[in-house]
Amino acid sequence: MSIIQLNNVSKIYNPDTIPVYALNKVNLEIEEGEFTAIVGPSGSGKTTLLNMLGGLDLPSEGKILINQTDLQSLSSKQLIDFRLHNIGFVFQDYSLLPVLTAKENVEFIMQLQNRSKSEYEKRAMELLKEVGLGERMHNRPSKLSGGQQQRVAVARALAPKPKFILADEPTANLDSKSTNDLLDIMKKMNKESNITFIFATHDQRVIDKARRVITIDDGAIVKDKINTAIA
Amino acid sequence: MIAAISWRNVWRTRLRSLVIIMAIAIGLTGGVLSVGVFNGLAEQKMRTAIDTQTAHIQIHQKGFTDDYDIHYFLKNPDNILSVIEMDNRIKAYSTRTISELMIRTANGSAGVQLLGINPEAEKSISTIWESVVDGAYFEGIKRNPILISQKTADKLKVRVKSKIILSLLDTDGNAVDAGFRVVGIFKTSSSMFDEATAFVRQEDLQRLTLMEGVNHEIAIKVNDPEEVTPVIADLKSNLSEDLQIESWKEVQPELAYISDMTGQMNFLFLGIILFALAFGILNTMLMAIFERVKEIGVLMAVGMNKMKIFLMIVFETIFLALIGGFIGIIISASLIIWLGNQGINLSVVGEGLAAYGVGQIIYPQLSGAFYLQLILMVFFTALFSSIYPAIKALKLKPIEAIHG
Repeated sequence: MSIIQLNNVSKIYNPDTIPVYALNKVNLEIEEGEFTAIVGPSGSGKTTLLNMLGGLDLPSEGKILINQTDLQSLSSKQLIDFRLHNIGFVFQDYSLLPVLTAKENVEFIMQLQNRSKSEYEKRAMELLKEVGLGERMHNRPSKLSGGQQQRVAVARALAPKPKFILADEPTANLDSKSTNDLLDIMKKMNKESNITFIFATHDQRVIDKARRVITIDDGAIVKDKINTAIA
Repeated sequence: MIAAISWRNVWRTRLRSLVIIMAIAIGLTGGVLSVGVFNGLAEQKMRTAIDTQTAHIQIHQKGFTDDYDIHYFLKNPDNILSVIEMDNRIKAYSTRTISELMIRTANGSAGVQLLGINPEAEKSISTIWESVVDGAYFEGIKRNPILISQKTADKLKVRVKSKIILSLLDTDGNAVDAGFRVVGIFKTSSSMFDEATAFVRQEDLQRLTLMEGVNHEIAIKVNDPEEVTPVIADLKSNLSEDLQIESWKEVQPELAYISDMTGQMNFLFLGIILFALAFGILNTMLMAIFERVKEIGVLMAVGMNKMKIFLMIVFETIFLALIGGFIGIIISASLIIWLGNQGINLSVVGEGLAAYGVGQIIYPQLSGAFYLQLILMVFFTALFSSIYPAIKALKLKPIEAIHG
């Protein structure tokens, strides 16, 4: 079942003067449980596409359906609420709140969802243990390595039980070991819990682990390959 | 959690926060201390006037205070005094006979308002007997003693036991000269009062003006100053309509004006200080917002709604201001309490203070209610300062904020 559906989606800057197509009539479907990498050179439109999928930007033309909901039909307030309950984000620079501990960073997102204290405390501990940070959950981000911070970011993205996780260059700032650890965790979650991951990346190590690789160039999908060798 | 994040954000850029907190604390301390001094001045002026001049309530025959014509004396004083004596809210009273006249010596002359008093009764409503700096309070001279001020003594170049001449008109309009001897010299904290006032025994003045048993004024002190208004209301309902019964505020309206205006001016003064501080707070918060553009963008992206972002910034601003406010209030309250006991010696501007009607030692004072109002003012200043940075944050678009 498709959780993401893009129909003829275009993003046009300067439509009245010299139109620039960041995305040009993109059609795309992503199924639940996919582990997908969106690749392409800088300026190809992969970040724009990721922003569209995350409801951070709306298309100039076409339609985006997330879990059958048309994002353009939502008000900005509804869109914020929709993101909170449906989409998990992992950013290149981790983007954790520096004044909160690892556990509080994970709990915070669930508090925004008005979950009960016992529920968010339990889930935050479970998720942090799952990403291998059970012992460091009371540390603030400044006391964690880059790889550890990104693992907290993954736990935070998973906390609200989203339909899918969008990860924008999640390994760009990590060393090889941290990258492999992080990808192993994500892959495990994908396999065991059927969580959908979508990456925008240049990193070959991520591409090598992705089951589906979508190549984008000049705002259009130029290649969409399923790597059947990867389970 | 929003409040916890805001609190921790305050300490994120510790030095910057401390700078603005100290600015608030120092600004408030200066402001509160000044207000305490203004209050102390006003209170002292009021107390001096009540204790030496007006008492709490004065009763005159209607028309007397227009030009102090001695013919407007109190009719049926025994009835008035019996009504006063029946009211247990009244602590003490004193009758006075008043005449405006010239004092002369070989060295010069001075116009004064002469108060004919009963020295013992006057002690119970006035502190003039405590202000005697030379000689004694109606002791030591039996015939025609007069109490004059240091100012008048200096002007006329007289000392204790010096003889002076009083020139006045009796009730028939005849000019009368009478010799008096200085029994004592007083000095209050009001140079204007000192310059214009002298005291003799009531029976001496009554004899000279041919007005035996005549009173022009009854000065009253009540047990509780808050009861002045109801006591006046009762006196008015029980006494003749020909009487003018006034509170100290009506006798000296400028005192009432000072008392009322001091309160308003104090808040205006503090308001101006807080308004200036508000811009410092606003600047600090704007810097904080500009530094956290990406962070706020991320919060918006992950699903933090605008109201929560707004509250996060408002809370942070309020915490910042209240910390500074509390420090400022603690420092200033301690100083006010200490200086309120020790006093501030302002003898370098003693002349000016005496002209204003207060002594050289000022005792700053502020009420507990004032501090509560001040905390509210700090709170609203913070709220005011937070609005622009919060709006600025809300205008951020997550996609632009995240990608810089």
